[in-house]
Amino acid sequence: MMRQCVTAVVSRNEVWSGKAASEPYECGWAGEAIVWLRCLGAVKGKPGAAKARVQISPDGMRWVDEGTKLKFPAKEGAIAHARLTNFGNFLRVVADMPKGASAKMLLTLTLKE
Amino acid sequence: MDTLTAMRLANPKLSRFSPMSRIISFDDFDDGFCGYTQLVGNYEHTLDSMLAGYAQHTHPQLSNLANWDSGTHGSFDGNYALKLQTRPKRGAQNVALKRLTFREPGPIRLEFYFTFKPEANELRLSETDVRSIGFLYDLQTGFEKGGTRVMPHVRFLNALDGKHLQKWQTKSRTTAMLPLGTEGKTVTHYHLSPTDWEDLKNGEQKLCYNEIPTKVNWHYVRYDFDLRTMRAISLQCNDRQWDVSGVDPIVIPAMRNLWCMLNICFFAEADTDKRALFYLDSVCLSGEFA
Repeated sequence: MMRQCVTAVVSRNEVWSGKAASEPYECGWAGEAIVWLRCLGAVKGKPGAAKARVQISPDGMRWVDEGTKLKFPAKEGAIAHARLTNFGNFLRVVADMPKGASAKMLLTLTLKE
Repeated sequence: MDTLTAMRLANPKLSRFSPMSRIISFDDFDDGFCGYTQLVGNYEHTLDSMLAGYAQHTHPQLSNLANWDSGTHGSFDGNYALKLQTRPKRGAQNVALKRLTFREPGPIRLEFYFTFKPEANELRLSETDVRSIGFLYDLQTGFEKGGTRVMPHVRFLNALDGKHLQKWQTKSRTTAMLPLGTEGKTVTHYHLSPTDWEDLKNGEQKLCYNEIPTKVNWHYVRYDFDLRTMRAISLQCNDRQWDVSGVDPIVIPAMRNLWCMLNICFFAEADTDKRALFYLDSVCLSGEFA
């Protein structure tokens, strides 16, 4: 069988500020993932100081840090990525944005069996 | 029993369906997304021009219906179902669709098995947290003068404002068409606005809803539509059937670039600030043509 590979756009043009989190995404069928976080613009404050990280969950409701961190893409067009394996069934990306900082973001998952 | 029927009844993938003579698509989500993707709203030059109703949509998921208290539930057939998940906000919607075109304007039959639940983040039944689940066709006639775009909408209104209503509804009107951008090529309308839903006559139906929000049971729907007359024929859910030939679909003037469009859309709506989860496994589209 040919391996399944899917691109899922999980956050599109969403303003990330404060304690930002992408919607939970169930993808246990995939053995590997690349998380892509792209800044679409509308940058306010200094989001470059934000801490973005990958989280995993047993049930899509309770989240723990997976251990992977991303350098927050703070300029329009900037993109950060991380390669993941052994992430179980649910993925999301969170970011603690500095006070007064925000940006419009695009979060994409490349998922492969 | 004729040979075709016997072959289908002997095939465990198809034996729970009653397709017309030609199967156009059969979507078993153990095989992947089968062409279902998120409904992205129209825009021009900037994503900011997308209507809010569409901007909220996210990608469908392949789910094994994992629960915090009981583990994986699994799907009707195998492990995976297609999952539509709304955001955790009252009135939030999500839509997944498959984009086809048709070659024979005749009767078509959509059959699918579905179930729904809210996110199980409370230790209570939560039976009124999902507002509705539903489906629609987005159709356009073949190229012709005076052609039309036709959008029959059907939803099961499970609950509204906390009331457990459990009834089928249809829609015959959409919102005004709005131009997008500056090039004169793109327009949009919000056909899933909360307005203009009408009760189907005798459309109340008590669906099996298991005792806690981590148990699901699968339900069957069959919807017959005629692409020649662009009118619905009948609707069935489990043991109930309705003649819907008198129900008007949404009809608007044809668009210049959508001839013979045959899109199948599924949608979910939340009635509380809790994610609504709508699962499908499987979907069979068939038609009556040689």
